[in-house]
Amino acid sequence: MKGNSISKSLLSVLLGTSLLVGCSSGASNPSSTGAAPETNNAAPTESAGEFTAKIGGVFILSGSSAAYGEAQKKGLDLALEELNETNKGKLKIEIQYEDTGGKKESAINSVNKLINQDNVVAIIGPTLSGEMLAAGPVANEAETPIFGISNTVEGINDIGEFVFRNSLPESIAIPTAMKQAIEKKGSKTAAFIYAENDDFSVSGFQTMKKTAEEMGLQNLGETTFAIGDVDFSAQLTKIKQLNPDVLLVSALYKEGSMVVKKARELGINSLIVGGNGFNNPKVFEIAGPAAEGLIVATPFSPEKQDEKVQKFVKAFEAKYGSKPDQFAAQAYDSLYIMSQSLLAAGTADRNALRDELAKLKDFEGVSGKLSFDEGRNPIGDAVVVEAKDGKFVPFE
Amino acid sequence: MDFLNPYNLQVITFIVLNCILAISIFITLATGQLSLGHAGFMSIGAYTSSILSKNADMPLFIAILAGALMAGLIALLIGAPTLKLHGLYLAIATLGFGEVVRVILLNMKITNGALGITGLKSLGTYLYDWEKMLGITAQSLGVTVPVIKSLSTLVFMLLLFLLILFLTLRLNSSRLGRAFEAIRADETAARAMGIQVNYYKMLAFIIGSVLAGLCGGLFAHITTAITPNDFNYHKVVEILSFAVIGGTEVVWGALFGAIALTTLPEVLRGLAEYKMIFYGAIMVLVMAVRPRGLIGSDTLQKLFRRNKKHNDQPKGVE
Repeated sequence: MKGNSISKSLLSVLLGTSLLVGCSSGASNPSSTGAAPETNNAAPTESAGEFTAKIGGVFILSGSSAAYGEAQKKGLDLALEELNETNKGKLKIEIQYEDTGGKKESAINSVNKLINQDNVVAIIGPTLSGEMLAAGPVANEAETPIFGISNTVEGINDIGEFVFRNSLPESIAIPTAMKQAIEKKGSKTAAFIYAENDDFSVSGFQTMKKTAEEMGLQNLGETTFAIGDVDFSAQLTKIKQLNPDVLLVSALYKEGSMVVKKARELGINSLIVGGNGFNNPKVFEIAGPAAEGLIVATPFSPEKQDEKVQKFVKAFEAKYGSKPDQFAAQAYDSLYIMSQSLLAAGTADRNALRDELAKLKDFEGVSGKLSFDEGRNPIGDAVVVEAKDGKFVPFE
Repeated sequence: MDFLNPYNLQVITFIVLNCILAISIFITLATGQLSLGHAGFMSIGAYTSSILSKNADMPLFIAILAGALMAGLIALLIGAPTLKLHGLYLAIATLGFGEVVRVILLNMKITNGALGITGLKSLGTYLYDWEKMLGITAQSLGVTVPVIKSLSTLVFMLLLFLLILFLTLRLNSSRLGRAFEAIRADETAARAMGIQVNYYKMLAFIIGSVLAGLCGGLFAHITTAITPNDFNYHKVVEILSFAVIGGTEVVWGALFGAIALTTLPEVLRGLAEYKMIFYGAIMVLVMAVRPRGLIGSDTLQKLFRRNKKHNDQPKGVE
């Protein structure tokens, strides 16, 4: 009977854990299957010049981070619909989506499949920087352009010639926000709090620290917490005693919002500047009125008074019934960049497309102006926004 | 030729890697120990080999081997106190060990914290460098560079796997393997028969950990980037489910589980968002119909009786 009890305990452990796994991967949203209407080819008047380009989209569409991937997919679908309408007779784009579930192996497999089996001309994605660092070399080796739209950590472009991104590295976004905010308020001292078990947050913290040093801010102290924590009293009590002029928070939106909320509850009156992780409307749901005055750098703000941005926001709201976030905006822009470069190349060829992408200059997108430098790093300017009355407005 | 595209090769490479992992958990389970520390040992192997190959510029194979031995060494240290525990208690203790390793990796400077180690030289590139020295290039074979790299990785992994499988089968029919089986069937009876239970349990635990460490090193150099989160709780569940779904009685069961569970997500790729539902449903179904795993010792016996001509186990090869 011994063997039986072992298999029983195995079974109970497996059942328990499969419940856990099931919870975390149950967030996928099966709505909005990218069935964008294709261009009507019934009357191919100019079909002589039309060519088809198949592009792969590699995103997290299931699992705990599926919200990011879904937003990106929505942005791409909207752009696809518009582009196939305007480019009728010249270029037809098709997108094939692959889900990574946030797993590195799956990202590698997806990229390999798209390149070798589906013969895509380029790939947009993957969602996470970690996935890009694993899958980017694969695409680069196969000489297929891979275009990151949400990879902000350092070193993405160093992977190789075929790796691009339009997501501003944090090394540009964070210093912009810090400089504008701190110069205005005349802050002298700073304290840091960040999530130590998340690559995105740690990378953001390093940039913040470096910028603070460059700006001559006095570093009063650094504290950490972990993604998944719900109680931050110990860390924030310590920060309250330090009484910094500015509190720099690098975290994902969920924990970050809770940190902001708790900080205000404890009576910390410092100016709070957050990293890219705060670019999410959910911040206001979690932090409530405590979010007031929070300053964040973002490549995109739906409140920006710009004709292009407002047109995009309106179209997005009409299609999905919600306001687009930064992820949707950058996805939207990426397909416009692809289409522009494909039209310039005149053919769906990977090498020709790469050369055209590298030449990109002064592209006017909804997430600002974009060019690439020699290292294919994006040059653009971040918008600094401030939380006011439950939404992010441009910081003045 | 169409079959030889890097996508298929990559998927098969991951299958082979998971097969080695399945053997590693099978050997620990062979003595009836439910250890959930495999992801921890994998991360020790992965980080040790990555740091050695990247920072110390050691040859890749030596680095991977050192990673495996490091995992074995740590297993020796933590095995002594924890292996006195049984069943679920051991499971919790080893699970705790895995989490501790992960948190340590998150906080060490040399492991680069949560950002992990990136930009490792891939196994394929390394093998291809060797092949070039021997005068074999992609041009001479008429294939592209990615294909030859993936192919070299796969061939290397397959050879390694077959070697490990061969040794495992030899082990099973040796004095050692029979001692493992006796302990698994009934520990007290085994002790009464004069088997040194603690010694054999420790041995099984260390062999399993060395193999897990080896897989860690290989994983790091196939994906070229590792972070502590690659070796979290989910990885443990994944490894454990190979053995549970496939069966823990014979090694073919665990291997079958690894092949099935690695192939399924790729086969189900077409279902997009509904993939995980089917994946979960299949797992539940298997557990409901075959609670002791798909392939048990009785499965093989049945096959043998029906098909006496074949002396090898035909089910497991597939």
